[in-house]
Amino acid sequence: MIKLENVTKVYKGDVVALKDGSFEIGKGEFVFLVGPSGSGKSTLLRLLNREEQPQAGRIYVAGKDIGELSAWKIPYLRRNIGSVYQDYKLLGNKNVYENVAFALEVIGRPRHVIKTQVPAILELVGLAKKQRNYPDELSGGEQQRVSIARAFVNRPLILLADEPTGNLDPATSVGIMRLLDRINRTGTTVVMATHDRSIVDTMRRRVIELDRGTIIRDQARGVYE
Amino acid sequence: MALNVSYVTRETTKNLGRNPTLTVASVITVAVSLTLAGVFLLVQEGVDKLAGNFRGDIELIVFLDPDISTAQREALAASLDDNPEVQDFHYVNQQQAFEEARELFEDQPTTQQLLREADVPPSFRITPTNPDVQSVNSLRDVYEGEPGVREVESATEAIKAIQDLSEKLIRGVFASSLVLGLIAILLIYNTLRTAMFARRREIEVMKLVGATNWFIRVPFILEGLVQAVLGGLLALLFMMAANTVLFGALSDGDYFQIFTAFDFTMATVLWASVKVGVAGVIIGALGAGLAVGRFLDV
Repeated sequence: MIKLENVTKVYKGDVVALKDGSFEIGKGEFVFLVGPSGSGKSTLLRLLNREEQPQAGRIYVAGKDIGELSAWKIPYLRRNIGSVYQDYKLLGNKNVYENVAFALEVIGRPRHVIKTQVPAILELVGLAKKQRNYPDELSGGEQQRVSIARAFVNRPLILLADEPTGNLDPATSVGIMRLLDRINRTGTTVVMATHDRSIVDTMRRRVIELDRGTIIRDQARGVYE
Repeated sequence: MALNVSYVTRETTKNLGRNPTLTVASVITVAVSLTLAGVFLLVQEGVDKLAGNFRGDIELIVFLDPDISTAQREALAASLDDNPEVQDFHYVNQQQAFEEARELFEDQPTTQQLLREADVPPSFRITPTNPDVQSVNSLRDVYEGEPGVREVESATEAIKAIQDLSEKLIRGVFASSLVLGLIAILLIYNTLRTAMFARRREIEVMKLVGATNWFIRVPFILEGLVQAVLGGLLALLFMMAANTVLFGALSDGDYFQIFTAFDFTMATVLWASVKVGVAGVIIGALGAGLAVGRFLDV
């Protein structure tokens, strides 16, 4: 599903975010990216949906070399990749339903599809009763559920999550992880960058550890360190 | 690209209403710039017509001394005959000239009574091959000072004065409309930039979930075009008003005969409006294109 071949990404001022990184992630895998701040986890996620381009190496997503994609095809790549962030990135002037519907609307899905898909996904994330609420009326955990619903409503092949529990307390985090696990069980590949030791240690999934841009560990059923 | 019409309409309307001050400023600037451009086109049209009117019956009059000898007169006639710059000429003798003069002063009986046939000079009336000011002037220089010639007259000075004046006028109007057009582009650009900034979170999410660039851009481009088109419609109204009030008064004939050239038909005004409208759309497209190209990259 995802394959990196000797990928190097250097930012201005010689900041190495990823150095000669290679790995492969199969369909339906759940992978944690761990490492200290600035080790290159977020950059790796940004490379996967082509928000960034590497200086060297090749990245394959769903069998396609995404470095070869022309600019106008990038949106179609992103329709296969859902993204979840620490700060949720919800639109404050839209309610829960509208936030999720927006994601379908702007990729041109017909209205009848939106009308059936959005309530279904809100049911899945447990927010069916809060459809008409606005983001500032929700708790952090609920906001993150909305953002997961938005990322998953189009049934992407891959879900990228950049510290999705970074702003949440441990109990709420567990709820979010259950949700991501459920999504993973539907066959969706999940790649999640995290600092949360207890989550990684409890879930026992594959762990890729980065240190200053270098992959120093790639362990199946791994722990935080 | 599946573009949802109701989505685009809703977003464009929302954008236009989001910053009414800037929108109104853009629309007015477009309108003023286009009105000036339109007036420029009409004035140019009028001046062309005016010069054409003059050119049609331009002639050079070589006034002769009343006591010119027949030999001198025939020598002049021969010279005119040979001159390639002279298309046609005819001789007006004293008697004919006297009749003309009597007609000219019809409503001034005192002057008319003072006129005597012997005072009125005979003349050659010449139609030049090239009616433009320079050739007519050089033709005049040839015959002025010839033996038996009293004076050579033509309308070239008047035409030249009008052409000079209108050229300056046209240049001024054209330059102002260019400058205002540029300002209109920048204003639309800035309005859109502000709109995009206000909606940067939405744009970020759109990119995130895979909305195509065109899907994101179209409402903004339409916003720019709507501003330009509104400005264009205002300009059309201004131009119609200007045509009726200003040019209408000038061409009434009460002021100056020459301004009849500025009496435009509705068709002329509409044609100028079409050109101006196209300029408006170009202004809108440029402003929007610049803004969208610069701030909506992947």
